[in-house]
Amino acid sequence: MRNFNLHLLLLVILGLHLSSVFSWKQDEFRNCNQTPFCKRARARKPGSCSLVARDVSISDGDLVAKLISENPEVVEGQSEIKPLILTLSVYQDGIMWLKVDEDQSLGTPKKRFEVPDVVVSEFSSKKLWLQRLSTETIGADSSPSSIVYLSDGHEAVLRHDPFEVYVRDGAGNRVVSLNSHGLFDFEQLREKKEEDDWEERFRSHTDTRPYGPQSISFDVSFYGADFVYGIPEHATSFALKPTRGPNIEHSEPYRLFNLDVFEYLHDSPFGLYGSIPYMISHGKSGRTSGFFWLNAAEMQIDVLGTGWDAESGISLPSSQSRIDTFWMSEAGIVDAFLFIGPEPKDVMRQYITVTGTPAMPQLFSTAYHQCRWNYRDEEDVENVDSTFDEHDIPYDVLWLDIEHTDGKRYFTWDSVLFPHPEEMQRKLAAKGRHMVTIVDPHIKRDESFHLHKEAMEKGYYVKDAKGNDYDGWCWPGSSSYPDTLNPEIRSWWADKFSFQNYVGSTPSLYIWNDMNEPSVFNGPEVTMPRDCLHYGGVEHRELHNVYGYYFHMATADGLVKRGEGKDRPFVLSRAFFAGTQRYGAVWTGDNSADWDQLRVSVPMTLTLGVTGLPFSGADVGGFFGNPETELLVRWYQLGAFYPFFRAHAHHDTRRREPWLFGEQNTEIIKDSIRVRYALLPYFYTLFREANLTGTPVLRPLWMEFPSDEATFSNDEAFMVGNSLLVQGIYTERAKHVSVYLPGKQPWYDLRTGTVYKGGLTHKLKATEESIPAFQRAGTIVPRKDRFRRSSTQMINDPYSLVIALNSSQAAEGELYIDDGSSFDFLQGAYIHRRFVFADRKLTSVNLAPASQGSAQYHSNAVIERIILLGYSSHAKNALIEPSNEKVEIENAPLWIQRSQGPLVMTIRRPNVGVADNWTIKIS
Amino acid sequence: MKLGFVLISFIFCGLIAKSVYSSKPRDPYLGVAPEDHKYYKSSAVIPCKDGSKEFTKAQLNDDFCDCSDGTDEPGTSACPSGKFFCRNAGHVSRFLYSSRVNDGICDCCDGSDEYDGKVKCPNNCWEAGKVARDKLKRKIVTYEEGILLRKQEVEEARLALARDEAELSKLSKEESMLKGIVQQLKEHKEQIEKVEEKERLRKEKEEKQKKEAERKANEENPKLDGEDTQQSNEAVEQSEGKDSDVASNHDRSGSINDSPIQKDVEEDQKLADVLDNVNGAPNSPGSEGSTHIRAEEGNDLPESTEGLSKEELGRLVASRWTGENPTKQSGEADATINKADEDSEDIPQETNHEEYESYVSETDDDSHKYDDIDVEDEMDEDFHEEHEDLSSYKSDSDITPDLSDDITANNPSWLEKIQKAARNIFQAVNFFQTPVNQSDAARVRREYDESSTKLSKLQSRISSLKQKLKHDFGPEKEFYSCYDRCFESKQNKYTYKVCPYKEASQEEGYSTTRLGRWDKFEDSYRVMVFSNGDKCWNGPDRSLKVRLRCGLTNEITDVDEPSRCEYVAFLSTPAVCREEKLKELQHKLDLMNKEQPQSHDEL
Repeated sequence: MRNFNLHLLLLVILGLHLSSVFSWKQDEFRNCNQTPFCKRARARKPGSCSLVARDVSISDGDLVAKLISENPEVVEGQSEIKPLILTLSVYQDGIMWLKVDEDQSLGTPKKRFEVPDVVVSEFSSKKLWLQRLSTETIGADSSPSSIVYLSDGHEAVLRHDPFEVYVRDGAGNRVVSLNSHGLFDFEQLREKKEEDDWEERFRSHTDTRPYGPQSISFDVSFYGADFVYGIPEHATSFALKPTRGPNIEHSEPYRLFNLDVFEYLHDSPFGLYGSIPYMISHGKSGRTSGFFWLNAAEMQIDVLGTGWDAESGISLPSSQSRIDTFWMSEAGIVDAFLFIGPEPKDVMRQYITVTGTPAMPQLFSTAYHQCRWNYRDEEDVENVDSTFDEHDIPYDVLWLDIEHTDGKRYFTWDSVLFPHPEEMQRKLAAKGRHMVTIVDPHIKRDESFHLHKEAMEKGYYVKDAKGNDYDGWCWPGSSSYPDTLNPEIRSWWADKFSFQNYVGSTPSLYIWNDMNEPSVFNGPEVTMPRDCLHYGGVEHRELHNVYGYYFHMATADGLVKRGEGKDRPFVLSRAFFAGTQRYGAVWTGDNSADWDQLRVSVPMTLTLGVTGLPFSGADVGGFFGNPETELLVRWYQLGAFYPFFRAHAHHDTRRREPWLFGEQNTEIIKDSIRVRYALLPYFYTLFREANLTGTPVLRPLWMEFPSDEATFSNDEAFMVGNSLLVQGIYTERAKHVSVYLPGKQPWYDLRTGTVYKGGLTHKLKATEESIPAFQRAGTIVPRKDRFRRSSTQMINDPYSLVIALNSSQAAEGELYIDDGSSFDFLQGAYIHRRFVFADRKLTSVNLAPASQGSAQYHSNAVIERIILLGYSSHAKNALIEPSNEKVEIENAPLWIQRSQGPLVMTIRRPNVGVADNWTIKIS
Repeated sequence: MKLGFVLISFIFCGLIAKSVYSSKPRDPYLGVAPEDHKYYKSSAVIPCKDGSKEFTKAQLNDDFCDCSDGTDEPGTSACPSGKFFCRNAGHVSRFLYSSRVNDGICDCCDGSDEYDGKVKCPNNCWEAGKVARDKLKRKIVTYEEGILLRKQEVEEARLALARDEAELSKLSKEESMLKGIVQQLKEHKEQIEKVEEKERLRKEKEEKQKKEAERKANEENPKLDGEDTQQSNEAVEQSEGKDSDVASNHDRSGSINDSPIQKDVEEDQKLADVLDNVNGAPNSPGSEGSTHIRAEEGNDLPESTEGLSKEELGRLVASRWTGENPTKQSGEADATINKADEDSEDIPQETNHEEYESYVSETDDDSHKYDDIDVEDEMDEDFHEEHEDLSSYKSDSDITPDLSDDITANNPSWLEKIQKAARNIFQAVNFFQTPVNQSDAARVRREYDESSTKLSKLQSRISSLKQKLKHDFGPEKEFYSCYDRCFESKQNKYTYKVCPYKEASQEEGYSTTRLGRWDKFEDSYRVMVFSNGDKCWNGPDRSLKVRLRCGLTNEITDVDEPSRCEYVAFLSTPAVCREEKLKELQHKLDLMNKEQPQSHDEL
C-alpha cells in the first residue's frame, strides 16, 4: 500500500463511473426475475394449488396425510404428480412441526436435503405423542378437517380440501396458517429427459442444475398481526415493509442467500451475510406468533400488502387483522415450525427450544473490542494497547485481521510482522486482555501448506460439479473450502485449534470467522457455485445458507476442545443461520461510515435479537470510509449499547482509535466506553437471561410493552433488557431529538436522573456528551462504578445499585454473576440475586436453586452504593439487617465522576455482600 | 522495628476481620504526594479540590468516593478520576490512575499500588532505577554536547542570516541601477531597430516573391511537425500534473497513446465492464447491447466476463476490498506507473530550468514561485552531494555557479564593467545614423542582452533569497542550517528523503512518491509537518510528520505509516537540544540519586 500511484488514474476513472456505481452493485446479484424459481413462484395466482389431504391418520405419534392433486393439469411431457407426505407433530409449550416431502417409497431420483444439526437433540424429548385426532367440518367448508390438540387451548387444524394447515386458539380464532391462499407448490424431482435443458446462466457462470427444478413455495398468514419482523439479514427497517400489493412500489422479495456484498446499501431487501428463515408477527391484540422454515437453500420471501389478494376470491376471517407472506425456496423440503406465543417472550422461548439457547458468553467478550484491518505488527499492537492505558480507557480485546498471517494461510503468523505471537498475547493477558485472530474457511491451495495438503489428501474439500476439489479465489488466491457439513471434517477442523496445532496460540487467544458465506471472489454472486457437491452428494444449492453455520460450529467446538471443555469459546462469525446463537456472536458485516448505516444498525441488531441471536452488533465507526468525528462519537455512544461492541475499520481508512480526535472527543468516547463497563454486570445478567429464555439483550420496545401500538414500528430506539431505553442520534449536528417513552410509568434519564413521563414523545435537546438513555421506573440496575484496564480486573470490584422507583415506590431487578469464563455455571457455580424494593425496604433474594449442584461460585464483592431515584420522602439513615448496622444516606451525583448535574439520594457504603441475603430499611 | 511491624500486622488483621470486603489502605495518607500532605492534614474537614464538596478525615481513603475529582481517595480505586502517587524511592515517583490501585497488576516499582493481598509486588525501584538513571545520564550527556552544537549553529545562523540580509540589500541596490542601464540600452536598441525596420520594409518590397516562398515553407512545416507539437503539449500537461492536479492527469492520460498509463485505464475499464456486465444474463438483452457498444469503443476489451479467466475475475473482485491493482503482476504494473510519474516530475524541472535561464522578468515573479522552488531543489541535491560533511556550512549554496562567480562574489567590478560598457556605447554610437552601423548595432544588442540576462539572474537571486528569508527558522533561528539540507534514511526497499522547508519523499528504485510539501512546525518546534503529498488511492493526500529529538547528528530514523498514507518519522538534531530540558533532566537525575530506597518493612 505504501507506494500506490495508480490512485490518480483510478480516481479519474471512478469519477466517470460514479453514476453507475449503484447499478453495478445490484446487477452483480440476481434479482427475482433473474432467478427462475422465484420468477415462476411469484407468477402463481392464489388458489392455484390443487392439493387435497387424503389418508389422514395418526402414526407414531404424528398426524400423517397424503397430499394428492385432485385434478392434475396434465402437462405435456411431464411425469405424473406423485403424492406428497405430510407429517404434523406437536411439542410441549405450543410448538408445531410440519413436514412435507416426497414419498421416498415411490422412488425419487435423489433424497431431498433436510438440514441436519440445527434442531437440538433435546427437542425430540419434548414431543407430545398424538393419540387421536378429531374430525370436524368447519364453517361453510364442503369437506372435513382433522384436528389435534396443541397446547393451552390451541389446536392444529388440517383442512383436507383445499389443503390448508393452521393453528387456532380456544376461541376458534386463527393464529398462523399455511396455504390459506392456495399458493402451495412443490416441484418434484424427476429423471432428466433428452430434451430437458436445466442449465442456468448468470453473467459468466453456468449452473449445470443436474437435478432440475425442485423449488417449493407457499403462503403463510399471521393473524392478529399488524407487523411482521425477522428473516435476517437485510439492511432495512425492523418492521418488514410489504414487497407486493396494491399501492406498493415494485420491490424485490426479501432474499435469504448468504452473500458477501461489497458496500451494501442501507435500505434494501437484498440478502446479506446470514440467513434465519424465521418470522414473527405482532399486533395490537398483543399477540405474537412465529413461523420458522428450516431450509438452507436460497429463499425469497414476500410480505404482502393489504388487498394483494383482492381478486383471488378467497375470503379469510376478516375480524382479525392479518399479514400474509409468501415463501419460496429453491430446494429442500417443507420443514416448518409454528410457534403460538401468545406473548413475545413466549415465542422467543419456543423458538430456542427448537434451535437451542444462546451460548453464555465469556465476560470479556461482552466488553469493548478494538479491531482494525490491520494492526500491522507487534509494535503497533503494543502501542495501541499502551495508549489505551495512557488515556485510562478500558478495553478487553485486540483483534488481528488477515494481514497477521503468513500469506493468508490461517493458523500461521507473518514471521516479520509477528515474530513473537505468544509473547505478544502474554503481554496482553498480563493486563487481563485477550486477542482474537481471524480464521476464514478458504484454504490456500499451496502444496507446502500442511493444512491444504492434509485436507486435499483426506478429500475434505467441497467438490465442484465434476467431483474435483472446488478451486475458488479468495484472499490467498486460489483456495479450497473444507466441507464442514460432514461431522468428521468438523471434528478434524476443530482439532486445528489445539495449542499444539495452532502454533503461536495461547489460552487468551480467540477466533473470528469471516468470509464464511462462503465468499468466493470469482464465483457466481461472489460465492460458491450451486452445483458444487458436499458430503453425501448434497448440492451446494441445498445447503448454501447453512455452510457458514457449520464452519462456525466447528470453530467453536475447536475452542471448547482446546480448553478441554473448561473454557467457553468465543467465535465471531459473519455468516449465520438458525442456531448460530449456540456458537457465538455475529456482526453486521462490512458496513460503511455514514449516518444511514449508523441508523440501520439498530433495526439490524433488533432483527437478529428477535430471531434468537442476541450477541450481535455493527462495526462502530463503519468499516468502509472515514467517519466524520461527530459520526464516530455518535457511533460509540450507540455502540456502547450493542450486545457486541467492537470498533473496526478498513485498511484504507485513517486511524481512528478513540484518542485521535482531540481531547474533548476522547473524553466523550471514553465516557461512552465507560458507561458500557459500568453496565457490564447488567449486560452479563441479560446475557444469562438470553441464555435461559432466548429473550434478547437488545429488544424492541414492544417486547416490553406488547400492547403499546406506538412502539410497533419504532426502530430508532430500543430496550436494553427490561430496564433501559436507548435512543440513537442519527443526524449530523442534531439540535433536538424526539424520544417516545412507552408505558404509564415514568423514566429516569440515565445520565442525570431527571424524570420523564411515560406514554409521551419527548422532544429533548441533543447534547454532544451523550445520546438519550433512560431507566424505566420500577427497575433496579446493577453497575460497577470503578474502571479498570479491562473487565478482568473488575471481578472483585464493588457494585452500585440504581433503584428507579415507580409510582408505588417499588422496583426490582436481578444480578447474575459467575466466573465469567468456565462452564461451571452449568453445575450451579453462580450467584443469581433478585433485588426487591418495596415498603421502604430493599431485599436481596436468592434466585439460584437451593441445591446448587456440584459446583459453587463465591464472591466477596460488596455493594458500595445504592442510589434511589424517585424516592418520595427524605431520610438520613438506613439500617442493614441482619447485621444491624446503620449507614448514612446522602445526596451524591448519579455518576460519581460527574460532579455537575442534580444530586440523587445515595446510601453510602452499605457494603453488604453481593452473594448474601440481607435487607436494608430506610428509616 | 520488627516488633512494630508484627504489632501493626496484628491490628491490621483485626481490621480485615471486621470489614472483610473493604480494601482501605493501612496508611491513611497512602497515595498522597508529599507536597499534598499539608493539604490533607490542615483541618478536620477537607474540601474536594474541585470545590464540589468536602469530606472528613475519616472519609479520606475510606474506599468510597465522595469527591468527583477523587480528592478524598488518593490511595484507593474508589474514584474514577483519582490519582495515586507512588513514591518509588530510587526511581522516579509517579502518579497512577486510580484504576490501577489493587487491580492485581504491579504498577509502581515500590509495589505500593497493590496492598489488598491479592498479589505480592516486589520493590525493584533501585534496580529499575539504575537502568533508568543510566539512560538518563546518557541522555544528559547527549544534551550537554547537543547544546554546544546548537549554540554554534545558532551563532552561525545569525551570521549567515546577516549575510543574507546584507546581500539582499546590496542586490536590491544593484538591481535598481542595472534596471536603469537596461532600460537605457533597451531604448537605444529600439531606436536602432526602428531604423532597421524602415530599411527592412524598403528591402521587403523588393524581395516579396522570395519571402512568399519562404512563408509557404513555414506553413508546411507545422504539419510535418505535428508530433512535436503534441509532445510539447504533453510536456506542458505533465508539468501541470506535477502539482497533483487530477484533472491534468486525466488530460494527460487522454492524450498519450499506448503509454503504460493508458494501459491501466483500459484495465480499469475492464474492471468496470466486468462489474457492469450482469448483462450476461439472458433476460436483459438491452444491457447486453450496451456492453457491445462499450466493447467497440475500447480497443481490445473482452466482450464479457467470459473473456476473463477465473483468476482474473477473482482478482478483480478482491481488488474492491483491497484497492490493489487487480492485474496479474501488480508489482510490475506499479513500477511502470511510478516510472511514468517520475518522468512527469523530471520533465517540468528541466522545462522550468530552461525557462528560468531564458525568460525571467519582474512581472512574472508570482507565476514562477514553484519554478524557483524546483530550481532550488535541484541545487539542494548538488549541495548535498558536495557537502557530505554536515558540520560544514555554506549559506550561499543555492545559486548557480556562474551567478556566484560574478554576482555575489565580493567583486563589485562586474557592475562597473557594465556601467562602463554602457557609457562607452552611449558615447560612441550614433543612433540616428541611417543605415545603421552594423557593428555598432551588434554591440548595442550584445550589451543589452548581456545586461538584461544579468538583471534576470540578479532578480532571480533576490527572489530566492526573499523566499528563503520568509521562512520560520525557529525562535533562535536554530533551524536555519536545515534549509539547505536533506536527510535520508533507508528502510527495507524504500529510501526516505526529508528536505526541511521543501519536501519529503519516498523512493523505491526509480520511482518517487512525494510524501508532502513543507507545511509548518507544530507543537512548539518539536514537529515538522509536510502535507499535500501525492494523493492516495481511496485515501487522503500523503503527509508526513517528523518528530524532532535531541541528537548530535542530523539523522532520520523510524519512518512509519501508522495510518494509510499518513507517515511519521523521527529526526534527531542538535537544533532541539534545549537548555531548559537539560535542566529538567538534571533535576530528575538529582531526585533519583537522592532517593535511596528504604527497606521494605518501613510501615
